[in-house]
Amino acid sequence: MVNFTVDQIRTIMDHKKNIRNMSVIAHVDHGKSTLTDSLVSKAGIIASSKAGETRFTDTRKDEQERCITIKSTAISLYYELDKEDMKYIRQDYEQDNNAFLINLIDSPGHVDFSSEVTAALRVTDGALVVVDCVSGVCVQTETVLRQAISERIRPVLFMNKMDLALLTLKLEKEDLYQTCQRIIENVNVIVNTYYEEGGPMGNISVDPKEGTVGFGSGLHGWAFTLKDFAKMYASKFGIEEEQMMKRLWGDQFYNPKEKKWYKEQLPGSQRGFTQYILSPIYQIFHCAMNEPKEKTLELVDKLGIKLVAEERELLDKQLLKTVMRKWLPAGDALLQMIVIHLPSPVTAQRYRMELLYEGPHDDPCAVAIKSCDPKADLMMYISKMVPTSDKGRFYAFGRVFSGVVTSGQKVRIMGPNYVPGKKEDLYEKSIQRTILMMGRFTEAIEDVPCGNICGLVGVDQFLVKTGTISTYKDAHNMKVMKFSVSPVVRVAVECKNPSDLPKLVEGLKRLSKSDPMVQCIIEESGEHIIAGAGELHLEICLKDLEEEHACVPIKVSDPVVSYRETVSEESDRMCLSKSPNKHNRLFLKAAPLPEGLPEDIDSGKIAPRQDMKERARYLTEQYAFDATEARKIWCFGPEGTGPNLLVDCSKGVQYLNEIKDSVVAGFQWATKEGVLCEENMRGIRFNIYDVTLHADAIHRGGGQIIPTARRVLYACVLTAKPRLLEPIYQVEIQCPEVAVGGIYGVLNRRRGMVVEETQVVGTPMFIVKSYLPVNESFGFTADLRSNTGGQAFPQCVFDHWQILPGDPFEANSKPSQIVADTRKRKGLKEGIPPLDNYLDKL
Amino acid sequence: MQRMIPHAVVHDSMRMLHRHSSSAVTEFRMMLAFSSSDDVMMTKLNVIQQGLAGFTELSKKYELKRCAEWIRDHNFVRVALQFPDQLLGDSVSVLSSLQEMVTANIFILGDTSYGSCCVDEVAGEHLQADCIIHYGPACLSPTQRLPVLYVFASCPVDIKHAAQQLESLCPDYSKPVLLMAETSYQHAVDSLYDELKGKYNGLVTSQLKMPDDVHEKSADSGEKSDNLSSGKADTQISTFCKCSRCFQLPPGVSLNECLVFFIGQEGLVLTNFMMTMNKCGFLTYDPATKICRQESLNVNKALMKRYYMIECAKDASIVGIVVGTLGISGTRDIIAHLRLLVRRAGKKCYTFVVGKLSVAKLANFMEVDVFVLVACPLNSLLDSSEFYRPVVTPYEMEVACNQAREWTGDYLTDFQELLPGSANYIQTTEGATDTTYVSLISNKLRRLGCSSGEDDGPNSASLILRSDAMGVASVEMAGDYLAQRSWKGLEQKLENTPIERVREGRRGLAMSYTHETE
Repeated sequence: MVNFTVDQIRTIMDHKKNIRNMSVIAHVDHGKSTLTDSLVSKAGIIASSKAGETRFTDTRKDEQERCITIKSTAISLYYELDKEDMKYIRQDYEQDNNAFLINLIDSPGHVDFSSEVTAALRVTDGALVVVDCVSGVCVQTETVLRQAISERIRPVLFMNKMDLALLTLKLEKEDLYQTCQRIIENVNVIVNTYYEEGGPMGNISVDPKEGTVGFGSGLHGWAFTLKDFAKMYASKFGIEEEQMMKRLWGDQFYNPKEKKWYKEQLPGSQRGFTQYILSPIYQIFHCAMNEPKEKTLELVDKLGIKLVAEERELLDKQLLKTVMRKWLPAGDALLQMIVIHLPSPVTAQRYRMELLYEGPHDDPCAVAIKSCDPKADLMMYISKMVPTSDKGRFYAFGRVFSGVVTSGQKVRIMGPNYVPGKKEDLYEKSIQRTILMMGRFTEAIEDVPCGNICGLVGVDQFLVKTGTISTYKDAHNMKVMKFSVSPVVRVAVECKNPSDLPKLVEGLKRLSKSDPMVQCIIEESGEHIIAGAGELHLEICLKDLEEEHACVPIKVSDPVVSYRETVSEESDRMCLSKSPNKHNRLFLKAAPLPEGLPEDIDSGKIAPRQDMKERARYLTEQYAFDATEARKIWCFGPEGTGPNLLVDCSKGVQYLNEIKDSVVAGFQWATKEGVLCEENMRGIRFNIYDVTLHADAIHRGGGQIIPTARRVLYACVLTAKPRLLEPIYQVEIQCPEVAVGGIYGVLNRRRGMVVEETQVVGTPMFIVKSYLPVNESFGFTADLRSNTGGQAFPQCVFDHWQILPGDPFEANSKPSQIVADTRKRKGLKEGIPPLDNYLDKL
Repeated sequence: MQRMIPHAVVHDSMRMLHRHSSSAVTEFRMMLAFSSSDDVMMTKLNVIQQGLAGFTELSKKYELKRCAEWIRDHNFVRVALQFPDQLLGDSVSVLSSLQEMVTANIFILGDTSYGSCCVDEVAGEHLQADCIIHYGPACLSPTQRLPVLYVFASCPVDIKHAAQQLESLCPDYSKPVLLMAETSYQHAVDSLYDELKGKYNGLVTSQLKMPDDVHEKSADSGEKSDNLSSGKADTQISTFCKCSRCFQLPPGVSLNECLVFFIGQEGLVLTNFMMTMNKCGFLTYDPATKICRQESLNVNKALMKRYYMIECAKDASIVGIVVGTLGISGTRDIIAHLRLLVRRAGKKCYTFVVGKLSVAKLANFMEVDVFVLVACPLNSLLDSSEFYRPVVTPYEMEVACNQAREWTGDYLTDFQELLPGSANYIQTTEGATDTTYVSLISNKLRRLGCSSGEDDGPNSASLILRSDAMGVASVEMAGDYLAQRSWKGLEQKLENTPIERVREGRRGLAMSYTHETE
């Protein structure tokens, strides 16, 4: 480390107004990691000349090989802002302290790793949105930006790959301006869609005139904001820097003869941006690439760029890079933009608290978070686990929101299921060590005050993936993160040797810890299932499992899609099941839930712990539920929260409350393992119409009722035209016009359905939006590439569940095939069990 | 209501006895151990009407001569005969024939309330019997008190055919082949061995390991159990004892490379063999259908399924120990062992005796997260997918709770091997270390080992506040469960319960009330 030491950082950590926590987010391949390198090179961890080549934040070997970021990585940077630039800061700042600490998290751009972005956003307050100025705003740009805004993260924009626009596309100056203008507009459209005006963050649209948009090339290591040029020209025009900035963007045209600015382009006048910013840059590019070197050096000297003797010897692109980097160093421009425009923890926590904290907004923790108070009790959120060199152990990575976290401190570690006052998911342990995370390296640090990001040693084993750490006895949890993707692609893994089972299981546990999204479960069939967001995600997880975590040879099954079981009609008869002793009878019917309700349950709009009256009102208004029935929802399931309802529609049944727990238990069991192929049920409403019970309590115990409830529910489903639901991806494919035909072909073959096809304005690129069954998506990317000559890039995100057409009872139909396969895989008896197994006669 | 013959429905296997014995001039008493009178226990049986063939056939099949000699030699006075359900049809004839040969007082025991393969000592003791003669397939688990004579009711095997089938399915004569059989076909093993000895180089035969006679047992029990402990290898010839079968492998041959040739039907015995010797290949020959085939049960899959159960057991906070046998010696020891194990793992346990296991019986205990079934090796492996909560074997519970015991891929079905004195015994470690792990079933964090010293909650001796909801049960874990239930028992809700007029209720039988049949 050249530029800063741990002691220096620790000192500045106390100056919470001089801290910036930010993440770098963008679509895949828009150049986040490369850009981050420029920042790191400025902060001095790696040598300046290596910037643009090393992808410092890609810490894993496969990340470097594939040139794709998989894990988000944090680095702390140190930057001293020019004293005179301090006046641009629009929030509270320390007047006489120009040293800033920037905690930066570089995140992956591929949609499969969106969960990493979510985890990164949670611990930061600002986001550097990187957009490739050639391909513009893409699917993932929108996704991550939307997420950032919903987490109340303030964005600044960086227009990347300007070098490509100049060198490869050879855009005219005005065209380049128009392109940039359009991208900024697109970004602002997204911002304004998801951010209500007058929100607590103030105005968060990006605007070059404000200095919240940067331009440049991460690869070449140069960048600028309008402020940089305003500074150069301010004296020449004799106006203030801030006034100058306004002249350099938008419809501002200068007539050098009249020495006057106009709002429209009149003959003899030039747009400020093209004339004063793009012209000199184009000139340098032109000279360096096409003219003799002397001419370039002349220009270089004229601009006051100082080159050392060796650098003067460079040619063409190398020379160009060096000149640009010297003239407009990317690190300075970006760090200035970050420090000036992104909020400090003090500013951000004031408006973020209500989104972050589950407890009452006036309790001591809430107040402490709101004011970012280092003297208050500790509140820290752990957003992810980072593997250590010690196998099976992890650093708990997170953000301190209030108080100070210290090595050796005794804290309360609260998992996501912790409820204040209860002991579940609560551990009181000591923190072994606190550490700073810096890309590939870590540095031990004595303590870390609020507003900072750090890692903890020794708490990993008390958390599954995320959690809250506090010293306050009555602290509530910080809210859990909501991911934009869900794990729908699953594979079963098996170890080649049964004696390796414990190693495999241990490996799965480690894997599940190391990734915020992946789900590792053992199913009743004994299968070990790994569920991920997409094929790439799974591929990485499996590789990690075999090589890093389990270290035993494993067999991987073909991808398995998880289905849901539902019904399409109301049961065609009243279903009756008798208890084993024949003394109790349950009369039920199943019916599909109204459209939209399962999704409302998924999103938590309708939830089991909601106020019963409020829920009933919503259900009657939105879904035309019967008012009395809406108040008699016994439970949700499976797991007590799932999208199926058990509703009591009976009248005047004696002892009914006594068997409620047993029926509910049977309902949870049955909805978890449906009758068709033991997949979860979804979107079914079970109505209890009548119950006959034995008068003696001993004959209506759980043993009699639970299996009976399960049987009657199965009978209800079987008589209500059961169907399978399959998961559907929303696919966005970006491609040039010529490839569109190929896309349609591939989609048609795979039961895909195109919903929208639009041309990206100002580019030859098309975006095709479509729905594609997850079942058909395996190998889709490769298929698409081969059919479009490698020009189409799809992004698949799980969107919704859809009924798989066909009757599972009809032989050779697709659903019956899937039911048969699933039953076989799970080791169940062949064929859907007959109705007689479950339905009794009077 | 039910057609009794030939497809009879046996109610607790007792009704059958009535029917047959009503004419016979025989004294017999019935035992109904722990069985409720519910129809739960109804089991459908195919009673093979054998027409009670001639005495000679009967005598041969049930080895009446040997039985009579045994009774006379030991001067037994009260003799109990135990038949499994499928042989009950012959019971009366056996008894009357035997009665003619000896003077002792002879009884027929109904089928045991657990597995018919186990000797029902408790039933025998209720009748103050001196000894038991056990007919039919047996698991050969050692008994505690009474002397037992096993009669396997041997069935014929076409040796030549079996040999041919083996040769056609396993033409590699250098392959070590291990001959094993169900108890009723055990007699064929030796003849088959003689038949094939010349052909297969590595042919190995197996003997039944008869449980030691009670009288001898008291003398040299320690030494015996040492010798017979399974998998114990000598330097030259390795002697194995697995699933109550003993065999000696020639030098240089490991058990894992053997091909097992099993004579018998698909069933518990075969499953048990395959799980215990899960690395061997299996060929089975069914003498009844004369079909020989490669066993296709994916043992790896079966083991994975059992491993899922172990994970369930690890996750459980309340464990129910279900006693599925009373006769096998060591039952009490294993229950005590399990209790210790469970307690040290920081879990709570309850012990249940419910007679024959049924879904309805175990579902009555909703608060229990996992059940451990203590039973003979044959009945331990229970497919519990229909059960509300999984049922595991003692071995699985031990893998889950005893950190010193590691899963090696070997599988033990006999709980005897978990007890001190067995080669597979591993001492339980004090689970003082409070470690956690992520459950792969619920994806939640679980605590392993008791959180000693950390517990700031009231311990059982201290006074606690009595809350309305929980009574004083708050320290008990099952009490926590009660607190979560919406209905907690017969609370008096004075003034809240409306007073209603008496109304006429249902009439008739629960099977179908009168108003329902109208």
